[in-house]
Amino acid sequence: MAAVAAMDEEQLDETFAALANSTRRAILARLAEGEANVNELAEPFDMSLPAISKHIKVLESAGLVVRGRRAQYRPCALDAAPLRAVSSWAEQYRPVWEDRFDRMGDYLRTLQEADHEADREVDQGSDREADQEEGTDR
Amino acid sequence: MTDTQSVVIERTLSAPIDLVWQMWTEAEHFAAWYGPMGATIPTATMDVNPGGRRLICMEMAGPDGTMQMWFTGEYVEIDPTTRLVYTEAMADAEGNVLPPEAMGMPPGAPMETRVVVELEDLGGSTRMVMTHEGVPADSPGAMGWQMAIDKLEAHLAA
Repeated sequence: MAAVAAMDEEQLDETFAALANSTRRAILARLAEGEANVNELAEPFDMSLPAISKHIKVLESAGLVVRGRRAQYRPCALDAAPLRAVSSWAEQYRPVWEDRFDRMGDYLRTLQEADHEADREVDQGSDREADQEEGTDR
Repeated sequence: MTDTQSVVIERTLSAPIDLVWQMWTEAEHFAAWYGPMGATIPTATMDVNPGGRRLICMEMAGPDGTMQMWFTGEYVEIDPTTRLVYTEAMADAEGNVLPPEAMGMPPGAPMETRVVVELEDLGGSTRMVMTHEGVPADSPGAMGWQMAIDKLEAHLAA
């Protein structure tokens, strides 16, 4: 469970780092309209092809962009899965709450067991008192 | 819009409804279960009255020593043992609300969230439904992010 959460955290960090750049967001917005190759993606920017490639690599390693396999023409396409995780803050809370309620369940059990324990002690205690009272009567 | 996002969790607890109610309304009990894994709740001030303030401190061990996070909010609806509504926002130790981004939360996370707890007596056990929902963000930064993401999502869905 903890390992999974840590992985999600890392994934989120990477997604946010990738999104924290206006050029990369513009690239994503362009890809939202359809596949494009590096030349096409570079067009609107006053930037060298290697610089654009670098941005695409960042998006790729964050899992936001997938690239085709054809050697010459490797179109970029958008993968929205990491974006959904980012946009849904509520879903990020779900594992936290599940975890809390597991603990609430355990805590409730402990409390109720302690209660029963105390009841038993009180019962035994009053028996003993009764015995003692009998004793003093004699 | 994704402003009204919420997470809903339902559980059936093998405890009487009065005791489950105390889990949410008595600071000592609340502190015992509320902290996420690895965190403790050294301070929980809970004035469970309509408009009453709450201030919760969460403490956890971090790489640079102990880290504290404060949350504040207000009790909105109290209907003993069946319904509790309170708000929550990140804060400093004095209870001044802080923007979630300042606390390292993802941009777009709402400033304030609302927790609704509904309990149903099942005779000895209790059905609990917890809804945690975002109150529409009014911080322009958060809105910008949310709109950008919404726009992208709309594009993708088309």
